Amino acid sequence: MGLRLPSKVLEHILSFIDSNEDRNSVSLVCKSWFETERKTRKRVFVGNCYAVSPAAVAKRFPGMRSLTLKGKPHFADYNLVPDGWGGYAWPWIEAMAAKCPSLEEIRLKRMVVTDECLEKIAASFKDFKVLVLTSCEGFSTDGIAAIAATCRNLRVLELRECIVEDLGGDWLSYFPETSTSLVSLDFSCLDSEVKISDLERLVSRSPNLKSLKLNPAVTLDGLVSLLRRAPQLTELGTGSFAAQLKPEAFSKLSEAFSNCKQLQSLSGLWDVLPEYLPALYSVCPGLTSLNLSYATVRMPDLVELLRRCSKLQKLWVMDLIEDKGLEAVASYCKELRELRVFPSAPDLDEANIPLTEQGLVFVSKGCRKLESVLYFCVQFTNAALLTIARKRPNLKCFRLCVIEPFAPDYKTNEPLDKGFKAIAEGCKDLRRLSVSGLLSDKAFKYIGKHAKKVRMLSIAFAGDSDLMLHHLLSGCESLKKLEIRDCPFGDTALLEHAAKLETMRSLWMSSCFVSFGACKLLSQKMPRLNVEVIDEHPPETRPESSPVERIYIYRTVAGPRMDTPEFVWTIHKNPEIGVSHLAIK
Amino acid sequence: MDVSNSCSSFSSSSVDSTKPSPSESSVNLSLSLTFPSTSPQREARQDWPPITSRLRDTLKGRRLIRRGNDTSLFVKVYMEGVPIGRKLDLCAFSGYESLLENLSHMFDTSIICGNRDRKHHVLTYEDKDGDWMMVGDIPWDMFLETVRRLKITRPERY
Repeated sequence: MGLRLPSKVLEHILSFIDSNEDRNSVSLVCKSWFETERKTRKRVFVGNCYAVSPAAVAKRFPGMRSLTLKGKPHFADYNLVPDGWGGYAWPWIEAMAAKCPSLEEIRLKRMVVTDECLEKIAASFKDFKVLVLTSCEGFSTDGIAAIAATCRNLRVLELRECIVEDLGGDWLSYFPETSTSLVSLDFSCLDSEVKISDLERLVSRSPNLKSLKLNPAVTLDGLVSLLRRAPQLTELGTGSFAAQLKPEAFSKLSEAFSNCKQLQSLSGLWDVLPEYLPALYSVCPGLTSLNLSYATVRMPDLVELLRRCSKLQKLWVMDLIEDKGLEAVASYCKELRELRVFPSAPDLDEANIPLTEQGLVFVSKGCRKLESVLYFCVQFTNAALLTIARKRPNLKCFRLCVIEPFAPDYKTNEPLDKGFKAIAEGCKDLRRLSVSGLLSDKAFKYIGKHAKKVRMLSIAFAGDSDLMLHHLLSGCESLKKLEIRDCPFGDTALLEHAAKLETMRSLWMSSCFVSFGACKLLSQKMPRLNVEVIDEHPPETRPESSPVERIYIYRTVAGPRMDTPEFVWTIHKNPEIGVSHLAIK
Repeated sequence: MDVSNSCSSFSSSSVDSTKPSPSESSVNLSLSLTFPSTSPQREARQDWPPITSRLRDTLKGRRLIRRGNDTSLFVKVYMEGVPIGRKLDLCAFSGYESLLENLSHMFDTSIICGNRDRKHHVLTYEDKDGDWMMVGDIPWDMFLETVRRLKITRPERY
């Protein structure tokens, strides 16, 4: 076939293709398609910042407008990755500043971001619009001030669950004095009080503001004043409700909320007293998203609120909602797509909450559109899992955390194998799965065989032997991320399925029985995998057969990284060199 | 298999008897090491169940708020045997002495720091690693950084 598509035509066609998966396929067709695609890609996503070098990405996509990067492994969220592991944003910011001046949006997750990074962003990208930092750390409010002051076209500034060195609320006064182009501001993770007058003035001069998430230091009075100035908000994160209930305060709050006729999403609500909840009733009918995960409010009050939320699609709540509350949700919130239920008493020796597997069964039966579940519960049954799978085959994300490790089906004393088999088999579109409770190797045989679309799998305190890992790595066709902790498998399965690891983004294993010797072998066998051993003690000082504490394996075209701390050991591909940690900062 | 760096085996109230016996290639499952601190006895783990530190801290009732030059640090205080606790702003106190004085007043009994005593209640705290410690050993400022909640123990227990 001698006909070649002119690049202008191809460019035009590609302008309709947004999905990066599709664009990746396009880029593999031939050299000219690769070239056209790379020059026209606007949104770049790098799921593991160590999989590729910043320079290579900057060079390949000079026209990028938006960059999304992820750093630390997911289990870092639960304190399993020691401080100082890595995930530094600086090399990326530096590379983009040099090669991609039209960059407008940066989204970083689980990365170390310094004030220098933020200052560099502010200084380098003339039309910078969007900064979203999720679970990041390493910067202070000074860095935020630099962004606020310099990025005149800033639309989005969101600090989600970051650890920020909070030097005070001054940063807020650095936004431009004339009107701002702010659409979304989220500073809910900051500790310090910001001057309410600064906030009021900012809100007043931000006519496009649609989403505002305050920190707990903002009082109820402050909230009322802000709502009066921004009744157009569609998303609101309140400050703290910790204040004694005064009748005038309540009616002012109620009135302020009733004027927010476009409010769709509500969060925050720290220390909310049940007596204040009625102030929210007027916005309930319009709410599509409600985050009550910080609201330690009892079931009857929760039900009074939720029965008014007929349009609710996303609900995050504490287990204080109890089975009865979830039964109510099942009957009132028919549009529900996502449910997350968090534990109010994570220490098992504390209070007994009447939330059982029945709560989730109610919602599975009543909410036909339910597709995403995160559920913390003390114990579970196979029967419940079977019902859930039967009723909700459309589930895309199912994360069950049975808080009691090794807890069997409490009615039959059997492992939860049958239940998870039903989920894997029945929910054919399942993309993400977290399993827990007592599980034998058989459970993983079922998961390996049936969970064809699962991309991310999380396992804790499960399995009997190497077979478990063998089943997973020889099945699970779409597996991209596997994270495992406290499971008794060892070297054999890992080495046998080394090739599978290159088809995945990453594998995390902690407190398993993988030996240092196996890690060495794996690293030397697979040139495009970085095998990182995270261990307090140098692995060479122990016998090769002794297990290492934590292992993080990921595919990469960038080779071993140069910024490992002393407790991370990368194994050289050259067997003569052995182990080292190249701690070059 | 040499598991020289393992720490205490997992002890819980779970039904261990029904767990299938481990196969040859596995040994007793041990608690994962969480360095830098590796303490075998922990009343609360920092990495299980899998919730974020922010939620964990919120549940423990520790709330840090800074208003101008003032800081408030609210933590929960429980008296052993009494289900309803109190909330206290630790920044309202200048040091251990005023804390103890206030607590003794609040709970209407004599509370001390330090070693066991048949007469007095002893004040303990949970630190950021989840360990229960005796109040009074470290400088007050350091204490404020690490304290998560307080518990007043009964005299006989110690």
